Amino acid sequence: MRKKVMAVLVAASMVLSLTACGGSGDSSSNNTEGKTETEAAGGENELTVWCWDPAFNMYAMEEAEKEYQKENPDFKLNIVETPWADVQTKLTTAASSGDLSSLPDILLMQDNAFQKNVISYPDAFADLTGSGIDFASFAGAKTAYSVVEGKNYGVPFDNGAVIACYRTDILEQAGYTVDDFTDISWSEYIKIGKDVLEKTGKPLLSCLSGESDLIVMMLQSAGASLFDEEGNPSMVDNAALKEVMDTYAELVKSGVLVEVNDWDQYIGTMTNSTVAGTINGCWIMASIQTAEDQSGKWAITNMPKLDKAADATNYSNNGGSSWAVTTNCKNMELAEDFLAKTFAGSVAFYETILPASGAIATYSPAAKSDVYSEPQEFFGGAPVYAQISEFASKVPSNNTGVYYYEARDAVATAVTNIVAGADVETEIAAAEDTVNFAMGK
Amino acid sequence: MTKGKKIISYTFLSIVSLLSIFPLYWMVIAATNKSVDVSRGTMLPGMELINNFKNLVASQNVLNAMTNSFKYAIAMTVLSLAICSLAGYGFEIFHDRGKDMVMSVILLAMMVPFAATMIPLYQLFSKAHLLNSTAGFILPMISTPFLIMLFRQSARSFPHDIIEAARMDGLNEFQIFYKMFFPTMRSTYAAAMTITFMNAWNSYLWPKVIMSDTKSATMPMLVANLTEGYVTDYGMLMLSVVFCTIPTIVIFFLLQKSFAEGITGAVK
Repeated sequence: MRKKVMAVLVAASMVLSLTACGGSGDSSSNNTEGKTETEAAGGENELTVWCWDPAFNMYAMEEAEKEYQKENPDFKLNIVETPWADVQTKLTTAASSGDLSSLPDILLMQDNAFQKNVISYPDAFADLTGSGIDFASFAGAKTAYSVVEGKNYGVPFDNGAVIACYRTDILEQAGYTVDDFTDISWSEYIKIGKDVLEKTGKPLLSCLSGESDLIVMMLQSAGASLFDEEGNPSMVDNAALKEVMDTYAELVKSGVLVEVNDWDQYIGTMTNSTVAGTINGCWIMASIQTAEDQSGKWAITNMPKLDKAADATNYSNNGGSSWAVTTNCKNMELAEDFLAKTFAGSVAFYETILPASGAIATYSPAAKSDVYSEPQEFFGGAPVYAQISEFASKVPSNNTGVYYYEARDAVATAVTNIVAGADVETEIAAAEDTVNFAMGK
Repeated sequence: MTKGKKIISYTFLSIVSLLSIFPLYWMVIAATNKSVDVSRGTMLPGMELINNFKNLVASQNVLNAMTNSFKYAIAMTVLSLAICSLAGYGFEIFHDRGKDMVMSVILLAMMVPFAATMIPLYQLFSKAHLLNSTAGFILPMISTPFLIMLFRQSARSFPHDIIEAARMDGLNEFQIFYKMFFPTMRSTYAAAMTITFMNAWNSYLWPKVIMSDTKSATMPMLVANLTEGYVTDYGMLMLSVVFCTIPTIVIFFLLQKSFAEGITGAVK
């Protein structure tokens, strides 16, 4: 008998522990949890924000809080440091389980993922279109990332305008200056690059192998995309894409571009002075500047443009992020007003955050400010921030859509094969098939 | 073993141990260097340890994360050992066909990846109002098929004669468990403790999904925070990794002997 009782007890304890998740919570912890939930959702005058970089966007948010407190002393922000990958995971979990209550009021979103998330989880994001936020004061290509079906879902934040950075001391050894790289085409770039490589032994550019960043930057610089307006893949018969692929293969073959295996190595090529430059989103400057001993030896200019493409420009974009307001926001008016008066309305705010964090805005009025025209010693005394703002205003826009990441991956695979000698058109067709497959077509 | 063979095996073992030690060495070296020197591939200790520490403390609440990690890991380990050892013991000592079947179902659960159950689990917890709570983090992780199986296996080697003798001496079933089984199985408990503590300490996805408060951040979350952003400070990052690694290393070394015994299932 005793044995039976014991057996039942043991089995019960097990079953309980397995199902405890549902059972015990209902009764005991209701009170305390209710409290934390309201806390997360924000009180009357408090907003919760998810973002991820203490030196950069978190800092910007803190300064925005101070700026807004000047008018609203009771206002408070609760900034929760959440790495981007986790923002995406938490967003996906919350939206697919249908319980949005764990979402913050405002979250920072990578521009590349913006349309994907808004289209996939339309219930999770607030339409900011008639909210009083002046979207026209941002660079057009930047705002386009957070527009879905003509509605604005995001307040643009940091700038991803592409810059080409060069080591002026290395160029000088080969007899060039940064002016020789301004407003040039890729064929000229490769020609000078070969010369620099011969004279100094240093490639002009390093890139992550198996990544599509440079490909997409080149593509966008000519106003071309991997998708058409309707969101269908447009890779086959995309003349610009073919030219980009050919150019990339040529860069690698000539030795002007050296491929590395990971991000740390990529940064290493610059800090170790093994390359004479790089081309990337302007945020790369922060990493370049960690090598303090290279101060004064860098200069920036615009990127090379495609030779044949009809709408080729010297401007493009890589990365950047925008603020989204979730539908879990309990005080929508406050969130909108806060964003309208800081990120979308205060030049003074941008003047504060720029020197301290290098956070280059896409807010056009701020670009005209004196702070942006300050000469930067690290970059040979050039007013790089003003230069970048100017570049940003000239960037053609790009279609991203739901399957942007899949398309980028497919293109990365294609370019790896092309560099290894595969046929360009076959690879592009294969990439388009991959994307169509991912889209369930 | 001939001399030649010895040389070959020693060379091989030296290379393998160097390979396994190197990441740890590199972690410590990087923690004492400036970020730019780390990316330049330095192999020697630097002078930046104190600076890295200052930066780390300035940017992250290390003490809070450390306390949280210990709190969660200890609570999870204690609860987990208590429940799984009882379960494993019960499944073996009082086994019959029904319980054996239940056991196989539990073992099947080992094959379901966590990512597949995460969203339903999240729904369950949100309905139970357990989002953003310690209970929400700990509950789904305290009973694991692996531990139940481990204790069941070791209970198999526990002599039934002892149980019979104890019953004759008038101990009830709980007393037999605590006074006879528990002391004999110390090494199994040590092994289970090491595994559970490490799993609890390193757990990332579930706590990250269910908790959204800065105050409840754990050490792995702190490390993840440092890898994000446009510039990574490698020196500071590696220092936080050192802090995150030390507790599990200490626990492992303390329980190393029992761990090996427990895994192989020894009864003395």
